Amino acid sequence: MRELVARYLSRSISRRSFLKGLTVSGVSLAAAKSVLESLVPLAHAQGTPGAAGSGVKVFQGTGGECFAEQLIASGVKYVFGNSAFEDAQFYEALVDRPQLKYILTPHEGPGAAMAAGYVKASGEPTIVMQAAVVGLMNAMGQIYNAHKEQTPVVFYSYRTDQTRRAGRDGFEEVANQEQIVQPLTKYAWLARRADMIPETLRRAFKAAWTPPYGPTYVSWHSDLSDEKGVRTEIIAQEKVDPRMRVRPNPAEVERAAQLLVEAKMPLMIVGDELYHTKSVAKAVKLAELLGMPVAQARQMYANFPTGHPLWVGGLPVARINSLTYPKEPDVVINVGNKLQHQSPAPIVGRNVKFIDLRIDSVSMGNVIITDVPLVADVAYGLDDLTAAVEGLMTPALQEKAAERAQEVRRFSQQASAMRALVTKNPDWNRNPMLADRVTWEVAQFADKDAIIVHEAGSVNLHSFGFNPLGGRELFFYYGAHLGSGVGTAAGVKLARPNQQVICLVGDGSFIFGPTALWNMARLELPVITVVYNNHAYSGPHSRVIDKTAGGRMVQTGQFYHDYLGSPDMNMAHIARGFGVDGEVVESAAQLKAALARARKATVEGRPYLIDAQVARVGVAWAEKPWIPPIRVAQERTRKV
Amino acid sequence: MRFRHRLLLVLFLSALPLAAQAQQTKPIGFPDAPGRDVTLQLCFQCHGDGMWRDYRQDRRGWEGALYRMVGRGALWTEDEINAMAGYLAATYGPQAGKASK
Repeated sequence: MRELVARYLSRSISRRSFLKGLTVSGVSLAAAKSVLESLVPLAHAQGTPGAAGSGVKVFQGTGGECFAEQLIASGVKYVFGNSAFEDAQFYEALVDRPQLKYILTPHEGPGAAMAAGYVKASGEPTIVMQAAVVGLMNAMGQIYNAHKEQTPVVFYSYRTDQTRRAGRDGFEEVANQEQIVQPLTKYAWLARRADMIPETLRRAFKAAWTPPYGPTYVSWHSDLSDEKGVRTEIIAQEKVDPRMRVRPNPAEVERAAQLLVEAKMPLMIVGDELYHTKSVAKAVKLAELLGMPVAQARQMYANFPTGHPLWVGGLPVARINSLTYPKEPDVVINVGNKLQHQSPAPIVGRNVKFIDLRIDSVSMGNVIITDVPLVADVAYGLDDLTAAVEGLMTPALQEKAAERAQEVRRFSQQASAMRALVTKNPDWNRNPMLADRVTWEVAQFADKDAIIVHEAGSVNLHSFGFNPLGGRELFFYYGAHLGSGVGTAAGVKLARPNQQVICLVGDGSFIFGPTALWNMARLELPVITVVYNNHAYSGPHSRVIDKTAGGRMVQTGQFYHDYLGSPDMNMAHIARGFGVDGEVVESAAQLKAALARARKATVEGRPYLIDAQVARVGVAWAEKPWIPPIRVAQERTRKV
Repeated sequence: MRFRHRLLLVLFLSALPLAAQAQQTKPIGFPDAPGRDVTLQLCFQCHGDGMWRDYRQDRRGWEGALYRMVGRGALWTEDEINAMAGYLAATYGPQAGKASK
């Protein structure tokens, strides 16, 4: 309750949120209202006369306190950071502001991934603090991910104090620090005076959270945080937020509706803007209205129920003409997918009418010819488009849509049966296990509403049956700076403590960023982490062979780049070092038993890790892979 | 109605670099034998032969490889898988010579 009161008094939550928070914690509504009434005089006493209720207050304190006050006013609950004495006044400010929770992360990379996971799963703002430019460099990979994945995370790192040291190329100093992140951020700015810290922060949050979302960066010389007696305005974020929810151009909506109802075989591609705007159900409604098949190109989330009869699967090799069905769509509508191209051929070919509905206008029309651009919040866009289509539907068109829906249903039923053949693999019971077997076992085990955080780059998930409308959810990656999985899972669990969170990660990805395990242990975030451990980079192994078929590497078996064994890494031991229980499993029976132990641990509030030994399968894997003969032992002449 | 089932390396849940294999190679140099057409039709839907043309294994091994493609999203019937495994075992079996580049 102390925290709720503090948040209410600092105006970071509304009266309604305050009441809801109290009732959720077990206080009766009547009692909650009574508490609220008792706080009203206090709330009004905050800030300057005349400013009460306006969302604006004048605050006086250290630069660090101004920083903390504005974070609260911007709605921040969790701060993720790594320590530095330069931020001393900020830490000092935290002591009397319990509503601002500082999470110490032992490395800025996984720390930033944790923040991003929290933002993705909660829709709430946060900030990641790095120690100077050196910490910033650690976070850069996740800034890149946030940029590619359009995640609204605010990053901060101080610069060398300007009173005596700055400008001398001194310790942990680099020129133009804020410029380093400019290609990856929507806004990167240096506060020039201590009283401008809050204003700079507000702009960073506003830019990050104005669609299309993305990361922002703020910085200031560290002595600004130390400054005392700073007098400045603290303004509630809602007072500066443009609330940019755009409706599409009505004329373009009519054109799009006309194209869709006249199409012989329309196809919908779905994307992450649906998840962001919580409008998956609206996409389902439009698809059902038209009997329109639905697919998805690579994104982070599952944006459509994969068990729906209109679901035809993912886009193979990033082109619609590689779909098994429908083979010849004549009208394609993209709803909220950024459409990342991997090949010279456009995802949607030149012979297909294309409707592009999304808020990210900058990436529209760059590769694909767009017949109807619908720049909009996809929730509004789908509302308007659905209404327009309904207005055009005649009995004949309804009959056509129903026939098409039947055809799509027949395909999806066949496809579902064929996907289930994965268990017929003659190696299904082998040890070490097939990656597919690990996936299947976890899919049988997972809760109906589990959240699957997936960073196993060489593993394709199957058997889960994702459904963003109350079923299992997927948090995949789009940016591909590896090492984000464990941190993301920790952040997701922080945001969704009442859902099972399972992190699936490859050994290569895991070893880039395991430090968030320590956060799981300390914060009692009961995440189940399953490492697909084949002691190899199997993706690069296969793709290198694809480029050098018949070459010297294949002839000699000398692959320099792919084998991570000898010595084999034991991820369970690594987990124990961070305070997380874990075990190594080599068979499906062991995996099942380990998953049961993992469930018990998580029910008790403890995270758990399973190091699942996975077979190296595919071309040219030797039983004992060759290792480059680099032996320093031969060069040692002294036993030191 | 009957749908033609083709190899489908699903990118929705897949690793990024698979997509880079989108540039397909024209299938040449594949000996005529039962199962050739379905193999070329289905495998080359998504990738060329560079990744596996140096591979030699028996029928069981090829079956395993094909079912792993199912795990990656390939939509095939058991009959199609059997036909492909038979062709690959015959032409890329343990005794077959190495393909020339």
